[in-house]
Amino acid sequence: MEPIKAIDVRIFPHRRLKPGTTEKILNELLDLEGVLRFLVNGESLPKVVGYGPARGTSVNHPDRKIITVKGKEVELLVSVGDIVVTIRHENLEEFVEKTKTILEETLNFGFDVRVGIFTRTKTTVSDNLKVAYGIEEDFDPNMVGLVDPKAKSKETVKLIGD
Amino acid sequence: MSYKPQYTPGETKIAQNRRNHMDPDFEMKKIRNINDEDIVSVLGHRNPGESYKSVHPPLEEMDFEEDMMKDLVEPIPGAKEGGRTRYIQFADSMYNAPAHPYDRARTYMSRFRGVDTGTLSGRQVIEIRELDLEKISKELLETEFFDPAKTGLRGATVHGHSLRLDENGLMFDALQRYVYNEETNMVSYVKDQVGRPLDTPVEVGEPLDEEHLKEITTIYRSDNVGMREDKEAIEAVLTIHEARTDGGFGLEVFKNDLKAKLGDDK
Repeated sequence: MEPIKAIDVRIFPHRRLKPGTTEKILNELLDLEGVLRFLVNGESLPKVVGYGPARGTSVNHPDRKIITVKGKEVELLVSVGDIVVTIRHENLEEFVEKTKTILEETLNFGFDVRVGIFTRTKTTVSDNLKVAYGIEEDFDPNMVGLVDPKAKSKETVKLIGD
Repeated sequence: MSYKPQYTPGETKIAQNRRNHMDPDFEMKKIRNINDEDIVSVLGHRNPGESYKSVHPPLEEMDFEEDMMKDLVEPIPGAKEGGRTRYIQFADSMYNAPAHPYDRARTYMSRFRGVDTGTLSGRQVIEIRELDLEKISKELLETEFFDPAKTGLRGATVHGHSLRLDENGLMFDALQRYVYNEETNMVSYVKDQVGRPLDTPVEVGEPLDEEHLKEITTIYRSDNVGMREDKEAIEAVLTIHEARTDGGFGLEVFKNDLKAKLGDDK
């Protein structure tokens, strides 16, 4: 595999985003050039109540919705707090500029856009174990840094586009 | 009482708001009306219309050994009836909620009788006999102690006080006990305080205006009134801090004690 030069851009809105807004932003960002992958981060939303007298009843959180990104359905598991976009290094300046314009048009509150490395860049022991113990077959090195060590890639990663 | 309590130091509006909360003679502004039955259903301890469960017979029917303290202290109505002890718990957002846990603890202690209150970083519980709890809850929910958006009524899964607000200005709630209606601008509870769905939603009114919250909040924030701007409050906190540190380590005491032992104290 040929190494490429890539960098992360972190979008940090000053409010947590509704599923509708997230959908709009993701779709518009996907149209920009050089985008490799997205990491949608936030406070996780439970499907059922975990403890207390109401344990076991379903939550039905309005933020835990299925959104459509480029025709593919993606289930949001979190209340969206920030979006990390990995892009090709050569598209960086143009991407940041256009992202800021998109956000200014969509959001009616403040946001920060930062450039840096916000995902893991090396395979860890957990990643290697996943392959060694057959927990995950054909572990894709592109997904390093996207998947939580305890989660399975199939459940948390959605492939969109080519 | 032979002296006038000062409650808390400070010369800013934040300190004044804290004093207003704690002063039992200060009447908090009532800003909304919630039915008694609605409050009972949101609390979730008994069904509306159901009678109070008791843990002991009424005090008048019980035999006690002679105790002077029992003559001196008048029991609260719930204790007289022998009712259960139940709770109400609030989480207050850091984004200028009207009250915050420590303020609530001090307020409960100075305003109400017979309460047990517990303070944690993000939530504040008040425990009292059920009969009195409902009266207190009504006062806490209908006055400016409560903002539907920045204050949450949460028995379990309280996480959210330090998170960013959502697009409508509501504090994060993993169980989504309350929902915001964008058309009517109203917040209503669809679940009770532990997350069990309610039969009918309970409306708790409009979220307060952000600018108004900045006026009535008891939280020091650098984007509103920072604590460093309040000279008197800082002075009081520093004095207590120094006294506690010196006293805690016993620096002066230990020095003198050691001198006495060495025969060096003359």
